[in-house]
Amino acid sequence: MTAELDQGSKRRAASRRSGILSGIGKQSQKLVPPAIALAIFLVVWQLLCSSPDATLPGPIQTLSETWELIIDPFFDNGGTDKGLFWQILASLSRVAIGYTLAAVIGIAVGILIGTVKIMYQALDPIFQVLRTVPPLAWLPLSLAALQQSNPSAIFVIFITAVWPIIINTAVGVQQIPQDYNNVAKVLRLSRQKYFFKILLPAAVPYIFSGLKIGIGLSWLAIVAAEMLIGGVGIGFFIWDAWNSSRISEIILAIIYVGIIGLLLDRLVDYVSKLVVPEEQKQG
Amino acid sequence: MSAFVEVDHIDQVFRLPSGGSYVALRNIELKIQKGEFVSLVGHSGCGKSTLLNIVAGLHRPTQGGVLLEGREIKQPGPDRMMVFQNYSLLPWLTVRENIALAVDEVMASRPRGERRGIVEHHIDMVGLRQAAEQRPSQISGGMKQRVAIARALAIRPKLLLLDEPFGALDALTRGGLQEQLIKICEETHATCIMVTHDVDEALFLSDRVVLLTNGPEAHIGQIIEVTIPRPRDRMKVVNHPNYYGLRSEIFYFLNQQKRAKKRKAKPTAAIARNGLEKVNLELGFIPLTDCAPLVVAKEMGFFTKHGLEEVTLSREPSWKAVAEGIATQRLDAAQMVAGMPLALTLGFEGKAPLPIVTALVLARNGNAITLAKHFYDEGVRTPQDFRAVVMQTPDKVHTLGMVHAASMHNLMLRYWLAAGGVDPDRDVNLTVIPPPQMVANLQSGNISGYCVGEPWNSRAVQENLGFVIATDLDIWAGHLEKVLGVREDWAEKYPQTHIALVKALLEACEYCDDYRNREEILELLSRPHYVGSPPQYLRPGFIDPYTRGTGTAPQTLPRYNQFYVDKTNCPYRVEGLWIMTQLARWGITPFPKNWIEILDRVRRVDVFGEAARELGLLDIEPDRGPIHFFDGTVFDPDDPIHYLNSLKIKRDIRIEEVLIDALEAV
Repeated sequence: MTAELDQGSKRRAASRRSGILSGIGKQSQKLVPPAIALAIFLVVWQLLCSSPDATLPGPIQTLSETWELIIDPFFDNGGTDKGLFWQILASLSRVAIGYTLAAVIGIAVGILIGTVKIMYQALDPIFQVLRTVPPLAWLPLSLAALQQSNPSAIFVIFITAVWPIIINTAVGVQQIPQDYNNVAKVLRLSRQKYFFKILLPAAVPYIFSGLKIGIGLSWLAIVAAEMLIGGVGIGFFIWDAWNSSRISEIILAIIYVGIIGLLLDRLVDYVSKLVVPEEQKQG
Repeated sequence: MSAFVEVDHIDQVFRLPSGGSYVALRNIELKIQKGEFVSLVGHSGCGKSTLLNIVAGLHRPTQGGVLLEGREIKQPGPDRMMVFQNYSLLPWLTVRENIALAVDEVMASRPRGERRGIVEHHIDMVGLRQAAEQRPSQISGGMKQRVAIARALAIRPKLLLLDEPFGALDALTRGGLQEQLIKICEETHATCIMVTHDVDEALFLSDRVVLLTNGPEAHIGQIIEVTIPRPRDRMKVVNHPNYYGLRSEIFYFLNQQKRAKKRKAKPTAAIARNGLEKVNLELGFIPLTDCAPLVVAKEMGFFTKHGLEEVTLSREPSWKAVAEGIATQRLDAAQMVAGMPLALTLGFEGKAPLPIVTALVLARNGNAITLAKHFYDEGVRTPQDFRAVVMQTPDKVHTLGMVHAASMHNLMLRYWLAAGGVDPDRDVNLTVIPPPQMVANLQSGNISGYCVGEPWNSRAVQENLGFVIATDLDIWAGHLEKVLGVREDWAEKYPQTHIALVKALLEACEYCDDYRNREEILELLSRPHYVGSPPQYLRPGFIDPYTRGTGTAPQTLPRYNQFYVDKTNCPYRVEGLWIMTQLARWGITPFPKNWIEILDRVRRVDVFGEAARELGLLDIEPDRGPIHFFDGTVFDPDDPIHYLNSLKIKRDIRIEEVLIDALEAV
């Protein structure tokens, strides 16, 4: 009996072990193709830039030239001569302010024009025109109005991110199924209850798709805006590096910008997963 | 007292994007009493959901309005809670939260604890305790609908509106939920309006079924009272003697609507040919042995011989359907029960007078009264015996079936009962059941007996379910039974066609009464699209000696199905007069003071005479003499009022002038 039990438990343990192993195996299997692709990319890059008259540095040269910046992102020598951490933080803080403003105002205006038909009819054409204006086109105007560079950059972020948020929120509100509205009407739900129990939960998936588009656009806009306004920030860091012909630093900054953009996108995704009701997930 | 809900002449017009308008509902008027359950039934797109939304206040009618307890409905409100077709639960709230949302909002003035109690009570009521914490996406369709019903009932609406509540569910779940709903409704005395496609569901749940016609301009076509007593359960409803009658009435209505839709697409114009105004005729018949003349005229070429080349025989589900078909001009002509042309002309069952004429008697005799077998074992042999049994069991209601209020079955059954001292309205209960459903109702014990034409008596005898206590030969030998009926305006529009039709059928009648042809006719009748009954049930009385199921030797009844001999076919007036006295006796129609005028209008001896002369047949009306009945009474055609007054068992008789021309002018 005991022997049998022993054998049984061993078998189970074995199978569990193999389960874990296969789990790791699966994970690593997923990582293999991108790793290979990255390796090929690096090799091709190295080969293309290995000739003596190449204009751009290869990966090895880039790594060696920027090693100092990579290992010490926290130095601060005053002025704009700061570590990459501070540069990125400065950019992120601008994005945070501009984007938060855009989210708050965008959702509010979106709900307003989504619920009031006449407002939608009045404002939608204006929004459709403004939405297509490239972010940087706003910069001179905001500089002229605000006189200062930092608020102008924040305004550019705001004006870039706000349109998709407004439009998606409005659509979300308009798309609330008539059935839910009928229930609200029959029960004579108060405005407050209607807002929190029906309108918001029903529109929240749309709002989040607006927010996701908005965050991507604002990160795109900030780099360009900072190049023009100067000061601390990853955009100006790139521009500064170009002016002093530190091409490797440009490449490093681009990689950082890409990674940060990806993380921001994932962050909004994560928040939406927490907030959006399970039943409202869109395929 | 005014009604609880009053739908007051509603019109609903939708503006179309093209600039035109679509009239969805036209002049809908409906009163609903407190505690009543009313179903709206009609084809898709007839506007029944629109009507429900108007009552809910979700939709404003173009004209008219809805009153709830005397106040006009202007906006939606929780006193008219709706159970939506697709449940309309909020997917982000749990079952409990969905119900609580409604309760908290509507009953905000009650203390929190009481509201919680209401929510929990209703969760239990629909049996969802296990699922209370689950979201709608985690439960089945049936459970979702239960939540919706619980949510609706929890706020105690004055009026519960249900929009195809079980439409999306499988049959089993639907059945279960219907039983739950009927129980809840009976317990809470809720007033309900339900939109449904399901006829059985409507019959099971409703007190009244409102049938809407097709749009555009949908209106209430018919309202059917479901008189099945409450509390109901499914078996009780299905076994109720009226159930199949009501069901076929609704299906008949819906089929009519379907056909009306088709007809609109392709109107059938009259085809004139062979010197006749119309050769494409639609003739209605009921599957009975005595539809033989129509079948023979069609199959043996008598119609064609007289130029009627495109005659279609339409098998109808009930006599009511025949009357409706003639009234709506769907049918050109029809086999009718003998009293029908008179009753329709006089106006009965609340309908306006519609002049119908008859120029031919198609058959005489052929009916019998069948009682359930157990009466035979109890020694019932005469109407007096039957009375004794009925009187011994005062707590049991004996229901007897007949086929139409104006049929000879009804009149003869009543006559026979009254002769035995049984009041046909007070001592027993008479109900209309289409002929083919008689045997099934007798078998299930829903009815104690019936009066009907063959083969439905012989069938009960041969299946040992009942016995024939009297044939009509025992009551009034040689009485008229089936007649040819057409609208008076039809007869005026197509006079030559009418005569041709009478000639063809008259020859067919002659053919039917030749016993050498009977085997052949039997084969025709037993075909599925005519009577469709196995030949052995059709034979007794028609070919073979008649068996009564009483153990006595089969009796040869040469006149049992009489189509031609003994001056069968002339629609002479004395018989018509007797029918009118009986219709008045039982309160079915008033007795017309102008009875001579009515008889002349309805019973077209002149058309019959013309047809018979053209065929070279003897054109004589039977003698205008008194009629003798089995109980010894004599009907004197010169003094019908005196005859009426001399009858012992009768209802309040109305004697009034019936003016049919005034209404005709419309």
